Amino acid sequence: MKRNALVFVALFVAILAMLASGKYLDRTRKHGVIRLVGNVQGVPAPEFTLQALDGSQVKLSDFRGKAVLLNFWATWCPPCKVEMPWFEDLQNQYGKDGLVVLGVAMDDSEPATIAKFANDLGVNYQVLLGTDKVSDDYGDVQYLPTTFYIGRDGAIVDKMTGLLDRKDIEQAVKKTLNTGDRSSSVPQSQAKAEVKAVAAKEPAAKDATR
Amino acid sequence: MRRMTVFAAALLLASWALAQGFGDKPPVVLAPVGNVQVKAGASKDVSLDFRIGSEFHINSHIPKSPLLIPTALKLTAPEQVTVADVKYPAGQDVTFPFSPDEKLSVYSGDFSISAVLKTPANVPPGTYAVKGELRFQACDHSACYPPRSIPVQFQVTVVK
Repeated sequence: MKRNALVFVALFVAILAMLASGKYLDRTRKHGVIRLVGNVQGVPAPEFTLQALDGSQVKLSDFRGKAVLLNFWATWCPPCKVEMPWFEDLQNQYGKDGLVVLGVAMDDSEPATIAKFANDLGVNYQVLLGTDKVSDDYGDVQYLPTTFYIGRDGAIVDKMTGLLDRKDIEQAVKKTLNTGDRSSSVPQSQAKAEVKAVAAKEPAAKDATR
Repeated sequence: MRRMTVFAAALLLASWALAQGFGDKPPVVLAPVGNVQVKAGASKDVSLDFRIGSEFHINSHIPKSPLLIPTALKLTAPEQVTVADVKYPAGQDVTFPFSPDEKLSVYSGDFSISAVLKTPANVPPGTYAVKGELRFQACDHSACYPPRSIPVQFQVTVVK
Protein backbone atom coordinates (compact mmCIF):
# COMPACT_ATOMS: atom_id res chain seq x y z
CA MET A 1 0.00 0.00 0.00
CA LYS A 2 2.86 2.30 0.96
CA ARG A 3 4.55 1.39 -2.30
CA ASN A 4 1.43 2.32 -4.26
CA ALA A 5 1.37 5.74 -2.62
CA LEU A 6 5.00 6.31 -3.54
CA VAL A 7 4.29 5.36 -7.15
CA PHE A 8 1.41 7.85 -7.28
CA VAL A 9 3.53 10.64 -5.83
CA ALA A 10 6.30 9.93 -8.37
CA LEU A 11 3.71 9.87 -11.14
CA PHE A 12 2.23 13.17 -10.04
CA VAL A 13 5.64 14.84 -9.99
CA ALA A 14 6.49 13.40 -13.42
CA ILE A 15 3.22 14.72 -14.89
CA LEU A 16 3.81 18.19 -13.49
CA ALA A 17 7.34 18.20 -14.88
CA MET A 18 6.09 17.14 -18.31
CA LEU A 19 3.40 19.81 -18.42
CA ALA A 20 5.89 22.49 -17.45
CA SER A 21 8.59 21.37 -19.86
CA GLY A 22 6.16 20.73 -22.70
CA LYS A 23 5.34 24.41 -22.84
CA TYR A 24 8.94 25.17 -23.69
CA LEU A 25 9.99 22.13 -25.60
CA ASP A 26 7.22 21.70 -28.16
CA ARG A 27 8.47 21.88 -31.71
CA THR A 28 11.95 22.79 -30.53
CA ARG A 29 14.00 21.19 -33.21
CA LYS A 30 13.78 22.33 -36.79
CA HIS A 31 16.33 23.04 -39.49
CA GLY A 32 19.00 21.25 -37.47
CA VAL A 33 19.07 24.02 -34.89
CA ILE A 34 17.86 23.86 -31.34
CA ARG A 35 15.72 26.91 -31.00
CA LEU A 36 16.03 29.47 -28.27
CA VAL A 37 13.83 28.54 -25.38
CA GLY A 38 13.41 29.67 -21.82
CA ASN A 39 15.83 32.25 -20.50
CA VAL A 40 17.98 33.25 -23.46
CA GLN A 41 20.16 35.84 -21.73
CA GLY A 42 23.83 35.20 -22.46
CA VAL A 43 23.12 32.81 -25.31
CA PRO A 44 24.86 33.58 -28.62
CA ALA A 45 22.26 35.02 -30.97
CA PRO A 46 21.60 32.63 -33.86
CA GLU A 47 23.28 33.79 -37.06
CA PHE A 48 21.02 34.66 -40.01
CA THR A 49 21.21 36.01 -43.50
CA LEU A 50 18.07 37.83 -44.56
CA GLN A 51 17.06 39.90 -47.53
CA ALA A 52 16.62 43.59 -46.83
CA LEU A 53 13.92 45.68 -48.52
CA ASP A 54 16.58 47.15 -50.82
CA GLY A 55 17.41 43.63 -52.03
CA SER A 56 20.73 43.34 -50.21
CA GLN A 57 21.58 40.34 -48.05
CA VAL A 58 22.14 41.21 -44.40
CA LYS A 59 23.93 38.95 -41.94
CA LEU A 60 23.74 39.38 -38.19
CA SER A 61 27.49 38.86 -37.94
CA ASP A 62 27.94 42.01 -40.09
CA PHE A 63 27.15 43.92 -36.91
CA ARG A 64 29.59 42.24 -34.53
CA GLY A 65 30.92 44.94 -32.23
CA LYS A 66 27.62 46.82 -32.39
CA ALA A 67 24.63 46.63 -30.07
CA VAL A 68 21.75 45.21 -32.09
CA LEU A 69 18.06 45.71 -31.42
CA LEU A 70 16.38 42.96 -33.42
CA ASN A 71 12.65 43.60 -33.63
CA PHE A 72 10.23 41.03 -35.08
CA TRP A 73 7.08 42.76 -36.30
CA ALA A 74 4.35 42.59 -38.96
CA THR A 75 2.16 45.03 -40.84
CA TRP A 76 -0.94 43.33 -39.36
CA CYS A 77 0.27 43.94 -35.81
CA PRO A 78 -1.04 47.25 -34.41
CA PRO A 79 1.06 47.10 -31.22
CA CYS A 80 4.20 46.73 -33.37
CA LYS A 81 3.32 50.02 -35.06
CA VAL A 82 3.46 51.83 -31.73
CA GLU A 83 7.07 50.83 -31.07
CA MET A 84 8.49 51.65 -34.48
CA PRO A 85 8.71 55.44 -34.01
CA TRP A 86 10.47 54.77 -30.68
CA PHE A 87 13.02 52.62 -32.48
CA GLU A 88 13.55 55.43 -35.00
CA ASP A 89 14.26 57.85 -32.14
CA LEU A 90 16.57 55.38 -30.42
CA GLN A 91 18.45 54.79 -33.68
CA ASN A 92 18.91 58.55 -34.01
CA GLN A 93 19.91 59.00 -30.40
CA TYR A 94 22.21 56.01 -29.90
CA GLY A 95 23.35 55.20 -33.42
CA LYS A 96 26.57 57.12 -32.83
CA ASP A 97 27.22 54.95 -29.76
CA GLY A 98 26.94 51.77 -31.79
CA LEU A 99 23.23 50.92 -31.75
CA VAL A 100 21.87 49.19 -34.85
CA VAL A 101 18.14 48.65 -35.10
CA LEU A 102 17.02 45.85 -37.40
CA GLY A 103 13.35 45.20 -38.10
CA VAL A 104 12.35 41.71 -39.22
CA ALA A 105 8.99 41.78 -40.99
CA MET A 106 7.14 38.50 -40.44
CA ASP A 107 4.61 39.25 -43.15
CA ASP A 108 3.36 37.28 -46.10
CA SER A 109 2.79 40.64 -47.79
CA GLU A 110 4.77 41.76 -50.81
CA PRO A 111 8.02 43.58 -50.02
CA ALA A 112 6.55 46.69 -51.70
CA THR A 113 3.67 46.68 -49.21
CA ILE A 114 6.05 46.30 -46.29
CA ALA A 115 8.28 49.05 -47.69
CA LYS A 116 5.32 51.43 -48.03
CA PHE A 117 4.21 50.69 -44.50
CA ALA A 118 7.72 51.33 -43.17
CA ASN A 119 8.14 54.50 -45.23
CA ASP A 120 4.77 55.84 -44.08
CA LEU A 121 5.94 55.40 -40.49
CA GLY A 122 9.23 57.12 -41.27
CA VAL A 123 11.33 54.06 -40.44
CA ASN A 124 15.00 54.99 -40.63
CA TYR A 125 16.49 51.59 -39.88
CA GLN A 126 16.95 48.49 -41.99
CA VAL A 127 13.91 46.29 -42.48
CA LEU A 128 14.59 42.64 -43.32
CA LEU A 129 12.18 40.10 -44.73
CA GLY A 130 11.58 37.40 -42.12
CA THR A 131 11.53 33.70 -42.83
CA ASP A 132 10.18 30.66 -41.00
CA LYS A 133 13.76 29.62 -40.34
CA VAL A 134 14.75 32.81 -38.54
CA SER A 135 11.52 32.64 -36.56
CA ASP A 136 12.25 29.06 -35.54
CA ASP A 137 15.87 29.78 -34.73
CA TYR A 138 14.82 32.59 -32.42
CA GLY A 139 12.39 30.35 -30.55
CA ASP A 140 9.40 30.14 -32.90
CA VAL A 141 8.58 33.83 -32.74
CA GLN A 142 4.78 33.87 -32.75
CA TYR A 143 3.96 36.67 -30.40
CA LEU A 144 4.58 40.06 -32.01
CA PRO A 145 6.22 42.37 -31.29
CA THR A 146 9.19 40.40 -29.97
CA THR A 147 12.54 42.13 -29.60
CA PHE A 148 15.96 40.68 -28.93
CA TYR A 149 18.75 42.88 -27.61
CA ILE A 150 22.07 41.52 -28.82
CA GLY A 151 25.30 42.68 -27.23
CA ARG A 152 28.46 43.73 -29.04
CA ASP A 153 29.84 40.24 -28.45
CA GLY A 154 26.90 38.61 -30.22
CA ALA A 155 25.27 37.31 -27.05
CA ILE A 156 21.64 38.01 -26.24
CA VAL A 157 21.29 40.57 -23.50
CA ASP A 158 17.51 40.53 -23.25
CA LYS A 159 14.32 39.43 -24.94
CA MET A 160 11.07 41.35 -24.69
CA THR A 161 7.69 40.27 -25.97
CA GLY A 162 4.59 42.35 -26.41
CA LEU A 163 4.30 46.10 -26.32
CA LEU A 164 6.22 47.62 -23.43
CA ASP A 165 6.89 51.13 -22.21
CA ARG A 166 9.39 53.17 -24.14
CA LYS A 167 11.49 53.60 -21.01
CA ASP A 168 11.84 49.81 -20.66
CA ILE A 169 13.05 49.63 -24.24
CA GLU A 170 15.51 52.46 -23.78
CA GLN A 171 16.82 50.84 -20.61
CA ALA A 172 17.42 47.60 -22.50
CA VAL A 173 19.20 49.55 -25.25
CA LYS A 174 21.51 51.19 -22.71
CA LYS A 175 22.24 47.83 -21.10
CA THR A 176 23.02 46.37 -24.52
CA LEU A 177 25.32 49.26 -25.44
CA ASN A 178 27.23 48.78 -22.20
CA THR A 179 27.96 45.10 -22.60
CA GLY A 180 30.53 43.11 -24.52
CA ASP A 181 33.74 43.93 -26.24
CA ARG A 182 33.69 47.07 -28.39
CA SER A 183 36.11 45.60 -30.90
CA SER A 184 34.57 44.10 -34.00
CA SER A 185 36.88 41.14 -33.99
CA VAL A 186 35.41 39.09 -31.18
CA PRO A 187 34.65 35.68 -32.60
CA GLN A 188 31.23 34.32 -31.81
CA SER A 189 32.80 31.28 -30.18
CA GLN A 190 34.20 33.57 -27.51
CA ALA A 191 30.90 35.25 -26.84
CA LYS A 192 30.20 35.48 -23.15
CA ALA A 193 28.10 32.44 -22.58
CA GLU A 194 26.31 32.22 -19.34
CA VAL A 195 24.25 29.62 -21.05
CA LYS A 196 20.85 29.04 -19.59
CA ALA A 197 19.42 27.81 -22.89
CA VAL A 198 21.03 26.35 -25.94
CA ALA A 199 21.17 27.67 -29.47
CA ALA A 200 23.79 25.47 -30.98
CA LYS A 201 23.86 24.28 -34.54
CA GLU A 202 23.75 20.53 -34.88
CA PRO A 203 24.56 18.30 -37.83
CA ALA A 204 21.61 17.92 -40.18
CA ALA A 205 22.09 14.14 -40.17
CA LYS A 206 21.23 14.03 -36.48
CA ASP A 207 18.07 16.01 -37.12
CA ALA A 208 16.61 13.22 -39.23
CA THR A 209 16.65 10.92 -36.25
CA ARG A 210 14.39 13.13 -34.17
CA MET B 1 1.16 -4.43 -9.51
CA ARG B 2 1.41 -5.14 -13.22
CA ARG B 3 -1.97 -3.53 -13.86
CA MET B 4 -0.84 -0.48 -11.95
CA THR B 5 2.35 -0.20 -14.01
CA VAL B 6 0.30 -0.28 -17.21
CA PHE B 7 -2.03 2.37 -15.79
CA ALA B 8 0.93 4.53 -14.79
CA ALA B 9 2.51 4.18 -18.21
CA ALA B 10 -0.76 5.12 -19.93
CA LEU B 11 -1.16 8.14 -17.69
CA LEU B 12 2.41 9.27 -18.36
CA LEU B 13 1.90 8.87 -22.10
CA ALA B 14 -1.32 10.90 -21.99
CA SER B 15 0.41 13.61 -19.97
CA TRP B 16 3.28 13.73 -22.42
CA ALA B 17 0.84 14.11 -25.33
CA LEU B 18 -0.99 16.87 -23.48
CA ALA B 19 2.26 18.62 -22.69
CA GLN B 20 3.28 18.70 -26.33
CA GLY B 21 0.08 20.52 -27.23
CA PHE B 22 0.29 22.92 -24.32
CA GLY B 23 0.33 26.52 -25.48
CA ASP B 24 -0.93 25.70 -28.94
CA LYS B 25 -4.62 26.07 -28.17
CA PRO B 26 -6.35 28.20 -30.81
CA PRO B 27 -7.78 31.47 -29.50
CA VAL B 28 -11.03 30.78 -31.40
CA VAL B 29 -13.15 27.63 -31.21
CA LEU B 30 -16.29 26.55 -33.06
CA ALA B 31 -19.23 25.39 -31.00
CA PRO B 32 -20.49 21.96 -32.03
CA VAL B 33 -22.82 22.21 -35.02
CA GLY B 34 -25.76 19.84 -34.86
CA ASN B 35 -26.86 17.82 -37.83
CA VAL B 36 -28.56 20.25 -40.20
CA GLN B 37 -31.68 18.81 -41.79
CA VAL B 38 -32.98 20.24 -45.04
CA LYS B 39 -35.71 19.13 -47.43
CA ALA B 40 -34.68 18.38 -50.99
CA GLY B 41 -35.38 21.46 -53.09
CA ALA B 42 -35.53 23.73 -50.05
CA SER B 43 -33.10 25.98 -48.25
CA LYS B 44 -32.11 26.27 -44.62
CA ASP B 45 -30.25 28.82 -42.51
CA VAL B 46 -27.31 27.56 -40.51
CA SER B 47 -25.54 29.48 -37.78
CA LEU B 48 -21.93 28.77 -36.91
CA ASP B 49 -21.13 29.91 -33.41
CA PHE B 50 -17.59 30.78 -32.44
CA ARG B 51 -16.06 31.65 -29.11
CA ILE B 52 -12.94 33.78 -28.73
CA GLY B 53 -10.73 33.29 -25.69
CA SER B 54 -11.40 35.95 -23.06
CA GLU B 55 -8.01 37.65 -23.43
CA PHE B 56 -8.15 37.89 -27.22
CA HIS B 57 -9.88 39.79 -29.98
CA ILE B 58 -9.78 39.15 -33.72
CA ASN B 59 -10.32 41.48 -36.66
CA SER B 60 -13.86 41.62 -37.97
CA HIS B 61 -14.70 40.60 -41.53
CA ILE B 62 -14.20 44.21 -42.58
CA PRO B 63 -11.27 45.66 -40.65
CA LYS B 64 -10.53 49.34 -40.88
CA SER B 65 -7.19 48.91 -42.66
CA PRO B 66 -6.39 46.80 -45.71
CA LEU B 67 -3.24 45.67 -43.90
CA LEU B 68 -5.21 43.94 -41.17
CA ILE B 69 -6.25 40.34 -41.76
CA PRO B 70 -10.04 39.97 -41.99
CA THR B 71 -11.90 37.09 -40.41
CA ALA B 72 -13.11 34.93 -43.27
CA LEU B 73 -15.08 31.71 -43.50
CA LYS B 74 -14.46 29.46 -46.45
CA LEU B 75 -16.82 26.50 -46.91
CA THR B 76 -16.65 23.75 -49.48
CA ALA B 77 -19.82 21.75 -50.00
CA PRO B 78 -20.46 18.65 -52.10
CA GLU B 79 -22.41 19.16 -55.33
CA GLN B 80 -25.67 18.14 -53.61
CA VAL B 81 -25.53 21.20 -51.32
CA THR B 82 -24.92 24.86 -52.13
CA VAL B 83 -23.67 27.31 -49.54
CA ALA B 84 -24.89 30.83 -50.19
CA ASP B 85 -25.28 34.18 -48.54
CA VAL B 86 -22.60 33.94 -45.85
CA LYS B 87 -23.30 36.75 -43.38
CA TYR B 88 -20.80 38.09 -40.88
CA PRO B 89 -21.69 40.17 -37.84
CA ALA B 90 -20.62 43.80 -37.77
CA GLY B 91 -17.43 44.37 -35.85
CA GLN B 92 -17.27 46.36 -32.63
CA ASP B 93 -15.27 49.56 -32.97
CA VAL B 94 -12.84 49.42 -30.09
CA THR B 95 -9.88 51.49 -28.96
CA PHE B 96 -7.06 49.56 -27.36
CA PRO B 97 -4.30 50.79 -25.04
CA PHE B 98 -1.76 50.05 -27.77
CA SER B 99 -3.47 52.41 -30.23
CA PRO B 100 -5.48 54.96 -28.28
CA ASP B 101 -5.97 57.22 -31.31
CA GLU B 102 -7.26 54.51 -33.59
CA LYS B 103 -10.41 52.43 -33.49
CA LEU B 104 -10.22 48.86 -34.69
CA SER B 105 -13.16 46.79 -35.91
CA VAL B 106 -13.00 43.54 -33.99
CA TYR B 107 -14.88 40.54 -32.68
CA SER B 108 -14.48 39.43 -29.08
CA GLY B 109 -16.35 36.96 -26.91
CA ASP B 110 -18.94 35.01 -28.92
CA PHE B 111 -19.91 35.69 -32.49
CA SER B 112 -21.88 33.86 -35.17
CA ILE B 113 -21.60 33.61 -38.91
CA SER B 114 -24.70 32.52 -40.80
CA ALA B 115 -25.08 30.92 -44.17
CA VAL B 116 -27.91 29.58 -46.30
CA LEU B 117 -27.80 25.97 -47.44
CA LYS B 118 -29.69 25.11 -50.61
CA THR B 119 -30.36 21.74 -52.18
CA PRO B 120 -31.80 20.98 -55.62
CA ALA B 121 -35.12 19.08 -55.74
CA ASN B 122 -33.54 16.02 -57.29
CA VAL B 123 -30.93 15.44 -54.59
CA PRO B 124 -31.15 11.91 -53.20
CA PRO B 125 -31.78 11.77 -49.44
CA GLY B 126 -28.61 11.28 -47.48
CA THR B 127 -26.03 12.94 -45.30
CA TYR B 128 -23.43 15.22 -46.83
CA ALA B 129 -20.40 16.81 -45.21
CA VAL B 130 -19.70 20.52 -45.55
CA LYS B 131 -16.08 21.33 -44.75
CA GLY B 132 -14.07 24.48 -44.56
CA GLU B 133 -12.09 26.76 -42.33
CA LEU B 134 -12.27 30.02 -40.46
CA ARG B 135 -9.23 32.23 -40.97
CA PHE B 136 -8.54 34.93 -38.42
CA GLN B 137 -5.78 36.90 -36.79
CA ALA B 138 -5.84 37.36 -33.04
CA CYS B 139 -4.30 39.89 -30.70
CA ASP B 140 -4.42 40.43 -26.98
CA HIS B 141 -3.94 43.68 -25.07
CA SER B 142 -0.27 44.03 -26.02
CA ALA B 143 0.66 41.73 -28.86
CA CYS B 144 -0.60 39.83 -31.89
CA TYR B 145 -0.41 36.28 -33.20
CA PRO B 146 0.09 35.29 -36.83
CA PRO B 147 -3.01 34.57 -38.91
CA ARG B 148 -4.25 31.03 -38.50
CA SER B 149 -7.17 28.84 -39.48
CA ILE B 150 -9.37 26.41 -37.60
CA PRO B 151 -11.35 23.67 -39.33
CA VAL B 152 -15.10 24.02 -39.71
CA GLN B 153 -17.18 20.96 -40.49
CA PHE B 154 -20.79 19.92 -40.19
CA GLN B 155 -23.23 17.40 -41.64
CA VAL B 156 -26.24 18.22 -43.76
CA THR B 157 -28.98 15.63 -43.97
CA VAL B 158 -31.23 15.91 -46.98
CA VAL B 159 -34.72 14.44 -46.51
CA LYS B 160 -37.66 14.03 -48.89
